[in-house]
Amino acid sequence: MLLLSLRNLWAHRRRLVGTVVAVVLGVAFLSGTLLLGDTLRANFDALFTQTTAGTDVVVRSATVIGDDQRQNRRPDLDATLVDTVAHVDGVADAQPYVTGSAQLLGRNGATIGGAGPPTRAANWITDPVLNPYRLVEGRAPEADDEVVVNRGAANTGGLHVGDTTTLLTPEPVTVRVVGIATFGSADGNGPSTFTGLTLHAAQQLLVPNPSRVTEIHVRGAAGTSPDQLAARIQQALPPGVETITGTQLAAESIADINSGFLGFVRGALTGFAVIALLVAALSIHNTFSIVVAQRTRESALLRALGASRRQIVVGELTETAIVGLVGAAVGWAAGVGIAIALKAMFDAFGFALPAGGLVFEPTSAIVAVLTGLAATLVAGTLPAIRSSRVAPIAALRDVAVEPAVPTRRRGVLGTVAVVVGVGLAVDGALGSRGTGFTIAGVVLTVVGAVALGPVIARPVAGAIGAPVAAWRGITGALSRQNARRNPRRTAATASALMIGVAVVAAFTVVGSSLKASATQGVDRSLTADLVIDRSGFGGRSGGSGFDPQLAKDAASAPGVEVATGFASGSVRLDGAVRGVTVVDAPAATKVVDFGVDDGSLSSMSASSLAVSDSAARARHWRVGTVVPIVYPDGTSSTLTVAAIYSHTDLVGDYTITASAWSSHATQLVDTQVFVRLAPGADAAATRAALAKLGAPYGQPRIQDRAEFAANAAAGVNTILGLVYVMLVLAIVIALMGIANTLSLSIHERRRELGLLRAVGLDRAQTRSTVRWESVIIAVFGTLGGVLLGTFIGWAFVEGAAGDAIATFALPPAQLAVFVVVGAVAGVLAGIRPARTAARLDVLQAIAAE
Amino acid sequence: MTATQLRTPIAARTVDAVKRYGDDATAVNALDGVTIDIPEARFTAIMGPSGSGKSTLLHCLAGLDTLTSGHASVGGIDLGTLDDRALTRLRRERIGFVFQSFNLVPTLTALENITLPARLAGTRPDPAWLDVVIATVGLGDRLDHRPSELSGGQQQRVAVARALATRPAVIFADEPTGNLDSRSGGAVLDFLRRAVTELGQTIVMVTHDPNAAGYADAATFLADGRVIDTIAQPTTQLVLERMKTLGA
Repeated sequence: MLLLSLRNLWAHRRRLVGTVVAVVLGVAFLSGTLLLGDTLRANFDALFTQTTAGTDVVVRSATVIGDDQRQNRRPDLDATLVDTVAHVDGVADAQPYVTGSAQLLGRNGATIGGAGPPTRAANWITDPVLNPYRLVEGRAPEADDEVVVNRGAANTGGLHVGDTTTLLTPEPVTVRVVGIATFGSADGNGPSTFTGLTLHAAQQLLVPNPSRVTEIHVRGAAGTSPDQLAARIQQALPPGVETITGTQLAAESIADINSGFLGFVRGALTGFAVIALLVAALSIHNTFSIVVAQRTRESALLRALGASRRQIVVGELTETAIVGLVGAAVGWAAGVGIAIALKAMFDAFGFALPAGGLVFEPTSAIVAVLTGLAATLVAGTLPAIRSSRVAPIAALRDVAVEPAVPTRRRGVLGTVAVVVGVGLAVDGALGSRGTGFTIAGVVLTVVGAVALGPVIARPVAGAIGAPVAAWRGITGALSRQNARRNPRRTAATASALMIGVAVVAAFTVVGSSLKASATQGVDRSLTADLVIDRSGFGGRSGGSGFDPQLAKDAASAPGVEVATGFASGSVRLDGAVRGVTVVDAPAATKVVDFGVDDGSLSSMSASSLAVSDSAARARHWRVGTVVPIVYPDGTSSTLTVAAIYSHTDLVGDYTITASAWSSHATQLVDTQVFVRLAPGADAAATRAALAKLGAPYGQPRIQDRAEFAANAAAGVNTILGLVYVMLVLAIVIALMGIANTLSLSIHERRRELGLLRAVGLDRAQTRSTVRWESVIIAVFGTLGGVLLGTFIGWAFVEGAAGDAIATFALPPAQLAVFVVVGAVAGVLAGIRPARTAARLDVLQAIAAE
Repeated sequence: MTATQLRTPIAARTVDAVKRYGDDATAVNALDGVTIDIPEARFTAIMGPSGSGKSTLLHCLAGLDTLTSGHASVGGIDLGTLDDRALTRLRRERIGFVFQSFNLVPTLTALENITLPARLAGTRPDPAWLDVVIATVGLGDRLDHRPSELSGGQQQRVAVARALATRPAVIFADEPTGNLDSRSGGAVLDFLRRAVTELGQTIVMVTHDPNAAGYADAATFLADGRVIDTIAQPTTQLVLERMKTLGA
């Protein structure tokens, strides 16, 4: 039987090309994502290990205040501890480490980096073992205005040794570049920028008080184990200060990034890989169904000659397994290309990933290949079993093994699944039963929709084809009839596309709802006329912010009525790390409408806290509740709830006053300055004046209300762009499925085509017929996907997302574009089968048995 | 040739038609210098044993296949001068086909099949003529049925009606009764005969059935790619006897 299987594969190799390609694409994406995941993990591991390579022990505060740019934020330490640590037995060197956020300006006065990856400054540690950076040009800083810059940042900003530029700490400081450094041998610690200062300058600029240091980095004497050393140092330290070995610190950072950023990226990639594989499996299943149907007589002949059902099934599955194995192996290799492309894509979309070559893990290769093989086998099993059911007598008659018309049971079960699924999802979304209901409902709806496909294929393909038939005349009518003739096949072909499009549509609907919510939020909350901020990831506010002096300067600019800075910080509030917005309370109420429900913002003092109504409800706080807080400098205090507000769009859940924050913050940084114009002020002139004011601060961006609203949702576009790119592959696989089905159908209908050609269908009309059939199938799948995706998106927005997305907004234009793109894709998918059909030799086709 | 044939205009003809298959060494002449005139408004049967070249002759006359040398023309148009597009147009406008089986497009109804060539040409068949054809085919209420719902004989009659619908110069029928029992076959042949007698249609039919040839106005015999005889007003008996002498 193996020989027969191999012979069969060889005989039908052309038909199987499409199947193999579907497996290849599905596995390629899976293997590419796994490969990228492994690579990123290894690169981050290397990065963090390198950062702490020469450091035996780090001394730091035991309190976590929050996380700042991928690093846990802790209060700083008393500088006198450096001496204490240095005197511990076994310590060869103890260096104070003072670090903070600081952004360099390039030659053109614009900021270098700052849209996501950290922009850090620290004292240049002179002990080369403790310093992961290496000077490659120039020298270490000696005077307070001298800096060392990492090579990546220097290249980006066009800075050279001897250049003078500005460092925003966030206060603009004029500095001179005296050295260029590499991180190990790399241009930088990933894409982050680094500026090395003298210790004195770092203490002046990066910490609020020159007598403070961020951490102490310790090198042990030869022969001392880091663990012993850490324990010994710990005994010399006051309470609230802890030690950690360099190795542990690296492990901690690696664990953080794996559970955070990297975990998210890997999860998302795997999700898309699963979708691609699912679509591929549907296509494979469909192809095998058709191939098996076309081989009915052959199977029946084998049965008549004495082959058992088992032998038929094993034979079919052997073929399937070979297809799966070949496809999976090729797919794994293609995955290398996908991994490289994905990495480039993440870079292009502004995710900064560490550099480094691809890392091949054998387990990932095995997982990818086995998953591909398993998916192919599962997809091929049902057709194989069906093929074995053919009675031997069928060899003598033309019996269709592939039931063209769906069963009643399918219709009933499918309808029940869709009705119950929609019911559950709607109930979950609108009622209070929760997310579980919504998810179960959505899954059931998708399953029901796929099951119902063959039942509705005939009428729906007829409806889609009606305008085609009216417009294209007889060729259109033939296409329409061809799309209707085997509803199971049409539905199976379309459902692969439907799944892919449904995911695209769902993301689009959620994205448009997010944008609408953001715009609405800005509309109701923002009463300022202009906003000054720095663009961060995806164009949103972010980056390293700027000196609060800018707000003060802006306030006294002509034409400005109010200008006030908003900062964001992170504190321990009521025992947990929480982000807070820092505002100058009376001024803030003139630029932002908080939607205060209870209490008053203008009466807020240094000991007041304002919270959102949802946070207040969740924590059972009311006006007057006293809440414990730990500030970034480690100070514990209490705040009293002074106001409860409902508009969280610009300020989040927790707001404190600048007077409370300024004495405890490590660095005072405004992330946004809101400006309200004086009545009758010339907006354009004021804007120009503000731009001039902002120049020394690294040219922050100035936006009016409309621009700000658009940018508030800009991150959504970035994410949607990524999602679209990743789903392109699933769509391509689905389209190959359509092409494949059509090719097989044409093979089946060649006598009919021969007849049509004989009675006067010319080649162009033949192509047109196939093309329009392809378009009808593609539009069927796309429409189904758009409907399903819209429903999934709605259920997510109303149910799972809860309060995070306030409004559901349908993007009709985009959804219409999807249908048009689907139709165009149908034309593309039809090109090859149409050509095959047109090339058909009329006489051979008529003579074919 | 008889006197009547000389007076009749020619619907289609071949002159020195040669069709060669294969390379020089193993070449087989399926047609070996066939010259034949198909008179208008007559029912011509082409007979011969299998391998005699009768189907090849039909295919070359109908523009489905090309000659190695010689000429074939339909309605005065030399087929050798036409490209694929022109041949296709000629087929749908000037030629009708009836094959042995699988004559109808399964997704179209009987009526849609009948009007198919006209619609492929982007025109509508003349309604008066269509009524005549439909009346002659005698399918009545089965016109909106799909081919799978019709009997074999009914399907072949629909195929003939389709061939008639465009009023072609010639209808080529390739063993139109080959797959039918004698009763259904008789009905189809009757229908073909009436198309010639009552509607003035020209029909060329390839067959090896002497009974079928008995319906024709003339029977031309082929053997080894050559015309060897023509019988005017053939009867089943005459044809049978002629075939015996041919050793078929």
